[in-house]
Amino acid sequence: MNAAEGRIRLTALGGYLGSGKTTWLRHQLHEGRLRGAHVIVNEAAETPVDDALLGQSSTLSVLAGGCVCCAARQDLIDLLRRISDERSKVEGGAARLEKIVLETSGLADPGPIVEAIRSDPVLVYHVVVSEVIVAVDALHSLSQLRGEPLGRRQIEVADRLIVTKVDQVAQGPLQTLLATLSCLNPGAGLSGAVRGVDSPLPDFSGAEPERLPETDQLSPKAPVTPVRLHLDDSIDWTAFTVWLSALLHARGDDIVRVKGVVRTPTGRLLLQTVRKVVQTPEILPEQGDMREDNMIVVIGRGYKAEHLRRSLQYFARRSY
Amino acid sequence: MCSACGFPAAPGHWTEAGAPTAHDRLRSRMRRAEVLQAVLPFYGLKAYGGGEVPGIQISALSGGESILRDLDEVWALAEKMSGGPVDPLDPRFIGDE
Repeated sequence: MNAAEGRIRLTALGGYLGSGKTTWLRHQLHEGRLRGAHVIVNEAAETPVDDALLGQSSTLSVLAGGCVCCAARQDLIDLLRRISDERSKVEGGAARLEKIVLETSGLADPGPIVEAIRSDPVLVYHVVVSEVIVAVDALHSLSQLRGEPLGRRQIEVADRLIVTKVDQVAQGPLQTLLATLSCLNPGAGLSGAVRGVDSPLPDFSGAEPERLPETDQLSPKAPVTPVRLHLDDSIDWTAFTVWLSALLHARGDDIVRVKGVVRTPTGRLLLQTVRKVVQTPEILPEQGDMREDNMIVVIGRGYKAEHLRRSLQYFARRSY
Repeated sequence: MCSACGFPAAPGHWTEAGAPTAHDRLRSRMRRAEVLQAVLPFYGLKAYGGGEVPGIQISALSGGESILRDLDEVWALAEKMSGGPVDPLDPRFIGDE
């Protein structure tokens, strides 16, 4: 008998901030590979953005305002119990939920999440964690692995590693990354993706893995935390872009991720950055939940929230 | 390509995404120069507005002018000239001086 028989199969999708989790998931939904799945999105910030991108999933739940591996772990357990409960009430013969995809926040360690689901006395009868997939950013992950213990923990627990943005790096560094990944987690399957679409990976059999420092030798850094910035009427898009481009130029190594939806004359623009790289803003339709428009989340370290706000106000002043 | 100065337009820099019409783009360029002018003089640079020239016109207070493609080039030039990046969290911009 299959161990999963009768239980909902849960796929946990993890990966560091900006590694391309949502892009990958969105493409899988578009291709119909996750038909019928209940998608749960967790975001560390209180402003959910990823749900705006995942409109194609049949059922979507958002857990915002804390990481499900720590602060919001009980919220996740409660949600999964509710889903299981509703499924148990489905009459025989009717279609039952078979699959859950949990997209964790970029700050989450998937290990404790899987452990929490497996050790819950109720969920153990209803949900089986079938796979842990971790997205790895080909462009930034080697530098993250050198300095961020979290990035390494995410990779170590994966069953499958999806190396994203493989079109943006040269073959040599990509081979080094692949050799490093296979050294960190030799058992994990490796595949490549560009904007969610499968992309072949080069042979890396002769490549040397990066010699990473021991995690206990890493200098302690301040934790990465999310800050919410409200762009009120006094902040125009042009001033905001001048400010953000300067901020990323000066502090792109500390500002790990910026995301949010900004209202501009062009329409609703989805803004996303990963360190110093800014993705071309995408125009979102005038629909869905727009309550969080003009709320930007800045995730990083080394500054105070109040200083970000004051600095932005300085840049946006009309008369100097 | 601008037929007057031969300066190639660089479509698609993310900061230009919010201006759909020519009118919006012109207004945005002038506003961009205004914002830059609040910041760059601290770094020995001056920004000019106006719609005559595509790109961003920057002059050094010590003389010399450049037309830059986008803001990334502006910050790189400012860093080169002043020996450090333009940091929006510098005390002078957050009122902590």
